[in-house]
Amino acid sequence: MNNRERAMNILHFRSADRMPAVHFGYWRELLYEWAEQGKISRALADAWHDSNEADRELDRLIGWDFNWATTVGCRNGLSPAFEQTVLEVFPDGTRRVQTHNGVIERIKPGIVSIPSEDDYLLKDREAFETLFKPKMLYYPERVNVEYFRRFNEERDPDRPIGLSVGSVLGRIRDMTTLAGMSYLLYDEDEELFADIVDTYAEMQYQCVKAVLETGAKFDFAHYWEDICFKSGPLLSPDTFEALCGKHYRKRNELLHSYGIDIISLDCDGVVGKLLPTWVSSGVNTMFPIEIGVWGDQFAAAREKYGRQVLGVGGMDKTAFRRDRAAVDGELARLQTLADLGGFIPCPDHRLMPGSDFELVRYYAEKVKEIQIHSQTI
Amino acid sequence: MSILNEISVNLQNGKSKIVKALVQQALDEGVKPADILNLGLLDGMNVIGEKFKQNEVYVPEVLVAARAMNMGMQILKPHLAEEGVTAKGRVCIGTVQGDLHDIGKNLVRMMMEGKGLEVVDLGTDVSAETFVQTAKEQDCRVICCSALLTTTMGVMEEVVKAAEAAGIRDRVKIMVGGAPVTEEFCRKIGADGYTVDAASAADMAVAYCKGE
Repeated sequence: MNNRERAMNILHFRSADRMPAVHFGYWRELLYEWAEQGKISRALADAWHDSNEADRELDRLIGWDFNWATTVGCRNGLSPAFEQTVLEVFPDGTRRVQTHNGVIERIKPGIVSIPSEDDYLLKDREAFETLFKPKMLYYPERVNVEYFRRFNEERDPDRPIGLSVGSVLGRIRDMTTLAGMSYLLYDEDEELFADIVDTYAEMQYQCVKAVLETGAKFDFAHYWEDICFKSGPLLSPDTFEALCGKHYRKRNELLHSYGIDIISLDCDGVVGKLLPTWVSSGVNTMFPIEIGVWGDQFAAAREKYGRQVLGVGGMDKTAFRRDRAAVDGELARLQTLADLGGFIPCPDHRLMPGSDFELVRYYAEKVKEIQIHSQTI
Repeated sequence: MSILNEISVNLQNGKSKIVKALVQQALDEGVKPADILNLGLLDGMNVIGEKFKQNEVYVPEVLVAARAMNMGMQILKPHLAEEGVTAKGRVCIGTVQGDLHDIGKNLVRMMMEGKGLEVVDLGTDVSAETFVQTAKEQDCRVICCSALLTTTMGVMEEVVKAAEAAGIRDRVKIMVGGAPVTEEFCRKIGADGYTVDAASAADMAVAYCKGE
């Protein structure tokens, strides 16, 4: 049984010979720490990216089976994106930069945190119609048809590969900033905001359709949203449903019609209140289940939605900054989630600086021993 | 509906231009600036804060309400100063050194302003020394530290130690918050207060400013 079969079997409540050791990548600062400690080479740290060759080399060194964020896709964002432009440089080296999304960010040298947002371009109907809408429309060159026609023959047969199906709201929020989204939705032009969501979603739908029409086969589909935080969703569930529900349904129906029944969604934070929209539309695999902020929500979600909800994630990555006992504790807790079936443990986000290389290796070895009990099959 | 009630309701709905116009109208009609502040603007923010605590409204509603309050305050502030109306207390707030994330910090600031506190916003990437120096120089009763990252939350302990070293620990309360911060962490580093949401943080800061 290979890793692809293991993962797909578990997510379909079928038997598997063992649990795969799955991860979600690293903060680059951690890789630099490991390089300084002599655990990995600096070149590997520099080259790492989700599911690239450096990622696979790290998998071999650590003992991981694969990175869940192994996806392929097309140009389903703003295209062409805005040119990244430095607008101003301050004496301390801080730069004001206009990003690919048309947001003005303040970037300080030596600070790896999310940059602070100073301003944004997508403020009104005129900006949308003239600057953004032309970049949000579908055109055939967004999809590399030749690549996808060869995909089935050339893909790695050992690991699950997902089709990146984009984002319904998260990328829009990235263009307007959270404040800008709020102003448009609640004070300035609700209709415009809905138009933006509809335009972007339709382009992404057409992209997914064009990829699937090539005959390429995928193990799962994967959304990115990041629309929740510590206290729950960044906007009301009713508003989210009204704006986004129809788009998830349309896109997921298309995926289902091509036989894709594992639809995963990457959203940080406390996601429970948005599950009604996601689950009812066909999104069924929550990732990365940030245990650090949302507790044992996977078990609660399973209790509420039954086997309509699957999970990849839920391992408290902070254990890697503590000790073996903490990792053992996590493994014991993850066994209880694995007992529910349809669940693959994975660190609940990028591994962060301070994570102990040997503890990560220990976890990658031991997680493969998590039992897949017959009652879950 | 009285004009003060109208101000409150429109603020709750995030209608910034209407709030601004209503505040001007109230002033023109001779309503006392303190009443416009307390019974109009702060009343509206209070309702939003309570609803936020109960998860009846979400971050966008808070952001638009706060913007509406700021628009109203632009008109009202000179009149409050003329009447000698003062804030309920002064606090300083910032995102700790090494961290540039400011949404959570801004939410807390807005909620605190909505409770009638004067907030000195130090921005992001703020050193422990800057927090303490500001509190000392501007007589802040509360220092509020925000962090998004597990890698930067350690700076909060430096703030506590810097306040002790500066000899102001007995007259300043230190509040901590942000995604990775917990009550346990707050106790561990010797800070005074942690709350689960921005609205509760504002309540706590008001209580600290009252000396409770």
